[in-house]
Amino acid sequence: MRYRVTHRTEYSYPRTIGRGYNEAHLAPRATRYQQVRDHRVDIHPMPAYRSRRTDYFGNGVLHFAIQQPHSLLSVTAISVVELTSPAASITLAEGTPWETAGAIISDDRSNSGLEARQFLLDSPLVETRRALAQYAAPSFPAGRPVPAAVSDLMGRIHADFAYDPTATTISTPLERVFRERRGVCQDFAHLAIACLRSLRLPARYVSGYVETTAPPGQSRLVGADASHAWFAVYDPALGWLDYDPTNNRMPGTQHVTTAWGRDYGDVSPLKGVIFGGSQGQRSEVAVDVEPLDAEEHNRS
Amino acid sequence: MPATLKSTLLSAYEPLPGHPDELIDASGQVNTTWTYLAKALDTLGVDGLHQRQKHLRRILRERGVTYNVYSDPAGLERSWDLDPVPMLIGSDEWARVEHGLQQRADLFNLILKDIYGPQELLARGLLPAELVHAHTGFLRPCHPYRTGLNHPLTLYAADLARRPDGTIYVLEDRTQAPSGAGYALENRVVMNRAMPSLLRESQVHRLALFFQNLRATLSALAPPRGQDEAHVVVLTPGSRNETYFEHAFLASYLGYTLVEGGDLTVRDGRVWLRSMDRLEPVDVILRRLDDDYCDALELRPESLLGVPGLTEVVRQGSVAVANPLGAGVLENPALNAFLPGIAQHLLGQELELPAPPTWWCGDPDSREYVLSKLDSLVIRPIDQRSGARTIVPGTLDKSARDALVTRIRWSPQHFVGQTPSGFSSVPTLGDLGLEPRLAVLRTFLVARSDGYAVMPGGLTRVARVPSDPSMSNRAGGLSKDTWVIATEPVREASLLAIEVTDGGPTDRSAALPPAATENLFWMARYAERADQALRLVRVITRVQQATMDTSRPVETRCLETLLRALTAMTGTQPGFLDNTRDSLREPTPELLSVLQHGQRTGSVTFNLHAMLAASHAVRDRLSPDIWRVIGAIRQRLSELPLPLTVEELAGVIDELVTLLAALRGLQEDTMVHSRAWSFLEMGRCVERGLLTTTFLHAILVTPEKAATESRLLDAALEHLESLHAYHREYHHPAQRDSVLRLLLLSESNPRSVGFQLARLEANLATLPDAGAPDELSAEQRLALDARTALRLSEPETLLVDSGTATPGEPLEALLTRTHRLLAKAAQSLANTYFSDPQGPRQLDPMPRPGGERP
Repeated sequence: MRYRVTHRTEYSYPRTIGRGYNEAHLAPRATRYQQVRDHRVDIHPMPAYRSRRTDYFGNGVLHFAIQQPHSLLSVTAISVVELTSPAASITLAEGTPWETAGAIISDDRSNSGLEARQFLLDSPLVETRRALAQYAAPSFPAGRPVPAAVSDLMGRIHADFAYDPTATTISTPLERVFRERRGVCQDFAHLAIACLRSLRLPARYVSGYVETTAPPGQSRLVGADASHAWFAVYDPALGWLDYDPTNNRMPGTQHVTTAWGRDYGDVSPLKGVIFGGSQGQRSEVAVDVEPLDAEEHNRS
Repeated sequence: MPATLKSTLLSAYEPLPGHPDELIDASGQVNTTWTYLAKALDTLGVDGLHQRQKHLRRILRERGVTYNVYSDPAGLERSWDLDPVPMLIGSDEWARVEHGLQQRADLFNLILKDIYGPQELLARGLLPAELVHAHTGFLRPCHPYRTGLNHPLTLYAADLARRPDGTIYVLEDRTQAPSGAGYALENRVVMNRAMPSLLRESQVHRLALFFQNLRATLSALAPPRGQDEAHVVVLTPGSRNETYFEHAFLASYLGYTLVEGGDLTVRDGRVWLRSMDRLEPVDVILRRLDDDYCDALELRPESLLGVPGLTEVVRQGSVAVANPLGAGVLENPALNAFLPGIAQHLLGQELELPAPPTWWCGDPDSREYVLSKLDSLVIRPIDQRSGARTIVPGTLDKSARDALVTRIRWSPQHFVGQTPSGFSSVPTLGDLGLEPRLAVLRTFLVARSDGYAVMPGGLTRVARVPSDPSMSNRAGGLSKDTWVIATEPVREASLLAIEVTDGGPTDRSAALPPAATENLFWMARYAERADQALRLVRVITRVQQATMDTSRPVETRCLETLLRALTAMTGTQPGFLDNTRDSLREPTPELLSVLQHGQRTGSVTFNLHAMLAASHAVRDRLSPDIWRVIGAIRQRLSELPLPLTVEELAGVIDELVTLLAALRGLQEDTMVHSRAWSFLEMGRCVERGLLTTTFLHAILVTPEKAATESRLLDAALEHLESLHAYHREYHHPAQRDSVLRLLLLSESNPRSVGFQLARLEANLATLPDAGAPDELSAEQRLALDARTALRLSEPETLLVDSGTATPGEPLEALLTRTHRLLAKAAQSLANTYFSDPQGPRQLDPMPRPGGERP
């Protein structure tokens, strides 16, 4: 399955900005099931400085600085990725019993184990809580393997929490999301991560895109898609497994992965510091996930 | 050979029970290291020591040595306090300590390289991964270090104390931005002034070499660019920081420019210092700002103190930062539990300096041990940022103790248990003699190409009261100079010269960053505001006196006009402009308020405090003499009785007016007439011009009866120090046209508006953005416009009663216009040369990831 993802961000400022420094997590990652065929980022006005690096979590980061006065910033990332289905989907009986997984990981000094252990810890936007462990507990009866337990937790979050873009903002604390039982994909991902870490299982935040399908008989709305977020859990036997609590399913060939980290703060698609201007910036984002092999897509 | 205790001073000294003492050994004898000093102290006696203490305090005050306390209601600054009795360490013991410190610094350096590198210690289990990943000091954007430096850890400091068994151990490690080395040097300079012979004869190791090493190391950090000398700056969080004195002192001692984040800017992948109209490339930043505050883009979004984009420049190797970004990860008491193993692995050595026995709760066995021994341990968080401080479980009630146990069990990796620290006592001067106080010694190391160099000595802090273990400066602690006593005479004569010089401002740095420019300008403006208000109040009290004596309507009318002028000039409306109040009939309360109400914008006290704050921020650019006067103003201000009585008023005003005049005189006399001086000068001219036009407006625009007018004109001349000049020049009683000539139009009377404009123009012409005569800068045009209008004016036309127009209209128009042009010129200067008032801001968060729900 091939997609062209176009992610366009525009900031407009009521007054001219003298300088701006930015960092973008917009490049798709190469993973076991995802190959990046093409990726470029167009920026206007032209940055005076631009460099790419790989961050601590292995994500591609674009750093750029704009030094000329401007009142409009536009950043357009265009990526072509190819997704393959996981060779054999995991049956729920597979994997490590969750308590065993926790015990193995806590002292695992293998490369992947060490890497996973950092995702056990609290992070700026995700704090572990006893109440969250209690919420998750019914999905984690003794001896249940990680995939089955997490899948069950995902289903419960999907059922218990209402999708409501008006309920939360980026700064809404997790506690309130948990109390009010509503939010968006980012909140659900953070919540699931907090539940898993509270049970001493490593969990990370994944940022990316999901292909939206048009209702039968209608054409796709270009640019109507949004960036998306879900989470992954680490099973010592199976490695990292992705779950999308917003859509209650394991990501397959419709999820494009850009970056992962401890929480949203590590991988926000675009952040920046500006000098000059005034309050009242306006921003607009348009994401378009366009399937490139229509035939194949229709068969799937 | 142990000395016996004969004198009263020493025989009255009783060490604290349960603590080892530095002076008296376990058998009750004077420690041999202290023999010479003990004799000398004995000779001085209590009175002699108190005299030395007074002397020390006077020097410290004059040098303006301070430690800021944020929460101090008494004001921003607290005087640094130095005990006349130094802390002594013998050469032999010091040699062992020094060696142990070098080993520890080596070890910390290697750990830092590994954490921001291959992380082999984590893979081998010698350092639990959680100690890195759960520590807020681990800055992921800084991983990996790419400098290839052997010693990325440029500076290391350790707090040492002595255990009951007599061994010296490490209480605390400092790697973030270790402070105190400058205070240690300052203490030495001051001791050298107050007791030079004692210091010389005690054969004390010198400190200067440490700072030479620091300079050499910082220079060597500069990215290779082929220039002669590395451009090093000292980055401070600002003058409100608690150790700001030290930042300014070190910057000027080392000859570096002191900068705030807003003075630096990142362009084209490099860091630049904004200085006047140009950008100077910066090679090395000695930071006194915590690393995460250094970059709002990558490290701490809410920070306004740093330089956005800095992390990327560091990553590219285009600027070096010392200590490196991310070094705070080493400030972790849990490291103590793993250092012995790491020392074996990395160095093949035993750890030389002990630390308090420490158990990291992230390890299950250690956690159970800590919980089982909770009451005999202290609990500490692995980093300071988590908000929690040291907890003494033994002092907690049951519910607090249970809550602590729950917290430790829930996130054990954040906590350590530690055996409580022991301290030795050291003799310290009290009211009646020497008293034992618990002591901590901060030691300092700097990386050299072949290892770490240790400052021979350090900063000793002692508790304010006997047996109190809180020794921090924030808690109001007292400091001591620390003498490492040589067994042979110290022969570092060539370094002595460096050490005994002031360390005062050298003005070696030609750069004038925006923050400093702005503070110089405003320091002068606030001083002028205070001065003019004081002078007018002085005139008013004299007129008031006359009113009481005669109570003629003429005097009363004159007084009222002056009072209104005071309100207008100080901007303390409504004040005397409010006709509904009784303040005009009973002016004293409002007068005192305008003088002394510190919270009231425009009051004399307010302006003086603002002037002090601004001067504080540019202290590295002011001469010691100026600093002495500023110290005297601060002192006088802090001693003022509240409220002043009318009897005290005249004396206080005269004294403050004199001090402010001394300040101006010393600026003229002791400062190089550089850019810095120009901005002081322009600040004064602008403010004096503005205040004088306001004053003349209040006094001269409305016509008065002849008698009142003559009285008012005299008062105006008196306020502007021009009474004598007037009578020398004009042999008739004061008349409006002559007064206008002298106070408004004249370019030779230093108090007139015309004089200010001429001076301003002259100074503006020296600025970098001043153009050729046919292309003037904006501020030059404004000043020229204002000055030309005055030069073309004649008192006769200004005062003409044009019949239809309101009397005084031409004068009023001229004054208003001059005022406006001056204010605009000041604004134009600010736009060109001062810090960007807006500072950095975050981009608003983008629309959030949504994600469709089927």
